Amino acid sequence: MNAARGLWFALVFLALVVLNYSLRPVLDWRASIDFLSIAVLLVAVRARPGVATVVGFAVGIVSDSMLPGAFGAGALAFSIVAYAASTLKAAFFADNLALNAVFVFLGKWVGDLVFLAAEHRLGGSEFLAQAMLWSPLAAAVTSVVGLAVLVLVRPVVGTPRG
Amino acid sequence: MLVACVLLSLLALVLPARIRSAIAGGLRGSVVVPLASLQERAEVSRRAVLAYDASLRVADSVRLQASQAEVTAAENERLRRLLGLGAALKWGFVPAEALHGRGLGDDYTMTLAVGRDEGVEPFSAVVAPDGLVGMIDAVDAHSSVAIVWPHPDFRVSAMSADGAAFGIVYPHLGSGATRFLLELRGVAFRNELRPGTLIVSAGLGGVYPRGIPVGTVISEIKTAEAWARHYLLRPAVRPADATTVMVLQPRRSKEGVAIAWQVAVDSALRIVVAAGDSLAKGHSDSLAQAERRRLDSLQALRPRTDSAVTPPAAAPVTRVKPPVPGARP
Repeated sequence: MNAARGLWFALVFLALVVLNYSLRPVLDWRASIDFLSIAVLLVAVRARPGVATVVGFAVGIVSDSMLPGAFGAGALAFSIVAYAASTLKAAFFADNLALNAVFVFLGKWVGDLVFLAAEHRLGGSEFLAQAMLWSPLAAAVTSVVGLAVLVLVRPVVGTPRG
Repeated sequence: MLVACVLLSLLALVLPARIRSAIAGGLRGSVVVPLASLQERAEVSRRAVLAYDASLRVADSVRLQASQAEVTAAENERLRRLLGLGAALKWGFVPAEALHGRGLGDDYTMTLAVGRDEGVEPFSAVVAPDGLVGMIDAVDAHSSVAIVWPHPDFRVSAMSADGAAFGIVYPHLGSGATRFLLELRGVAFRNELRPGTLIVSAGLGGVYPRGIPVGTVISEIKTAEAWARHYLLRPAVRPADATTVMVLQPRRSKEGVAIAWQVAVDSALRIVVAAGDSLAKGHSDSLAQAERRRLDSLQALRPRTDSAVTPPAAAPVTRVKPPVPGARP
């Protein structure tokens, strides 16, 4: 990745983080778009697993600072998702939009499941409803937006590493 | 690296709440400040948008209630006046809801929601608190049809409120907006009516009792007839506004109903008298002013006149030399 592309990539990453803290509260959807997941996955498919894990961990800690009750849960979820995505990118990031959408969907859903399991806040039916209904819905919405972002940024940041 | 991050994450999860809060607070006070501020602004914006919608709804509701309050107040006023008329008449009337159609010919007739069973009879006068509306034309068991004053067949014998001038009121069969005015025809030529004079029913003919306001004089209509005057009248009642009326039963009409509108007649008379007084006063004032101006003019002219008649100042004395002897004259 050359400097220009690196700069563009950083801008896109920053824009996604900003959108997560500006557009997401405005929309206030029950199944909301997780721009942080998209940003982490975007990094994960372009970086080595170690770097991706650190970025995931950092993003998770930042998001956890807004949720003191679940401090560490987001970091754990993003670390695992980033590592897994970076490891599996060769399998998923072919030039197939459907596969990319599934990749974002799974990344978001698995991240939510890890988060829910780690924070220990919900239990019983609430946990099931969140894990099996709202998280997949949010993952679906996020995958649609993530796919659009991937398509839009591909010309400026290039294709992912194989 | 994964192991390290996972361990750190798990450590963060199992740390005592006090330490976790301290770390989270430290992050929120340093690295996360811009993001927290951004999130706060976004939530404030969202609340503002929602509050704007809510305030708009409240404003709309208030506006709607205000408009309804005006309608309700007008309705209350109308009903209060109708109750006042009912109290003044005391007996021999049937209150009725007037149903206005919006079709052709509905400007001339009015359907009433009372009929024979409620005591309505043909040729009964239909009145409103403001004055005469029309006359019952057809009666069914529970409904009736009245012709209202714009109807071409409407006639009522009428007089000025002071009883000085008599005539017959017809609908004014003009075109445009003047179609919905009335005419007072056949007023004796010696009786000149001023604009604003109240015209009431004269009680002749047996249908309309005496003293019901019919309209007020707008202006005289110039015609070729030299023996009578015609006047254009503004009707006392607009049929479209009369949603509740009263049908006077014939017995009540025979007894007389003028007392019910006496206040209106008196106030109209007072207005006319006051207007006449004002005119007279204005006329006398203008005469006085003219006289004053004439005197002032004379006063202003007086010094010049005096100077014209005053003898001129004594001429300077000139010494005349005696003629020189031998000189030629």
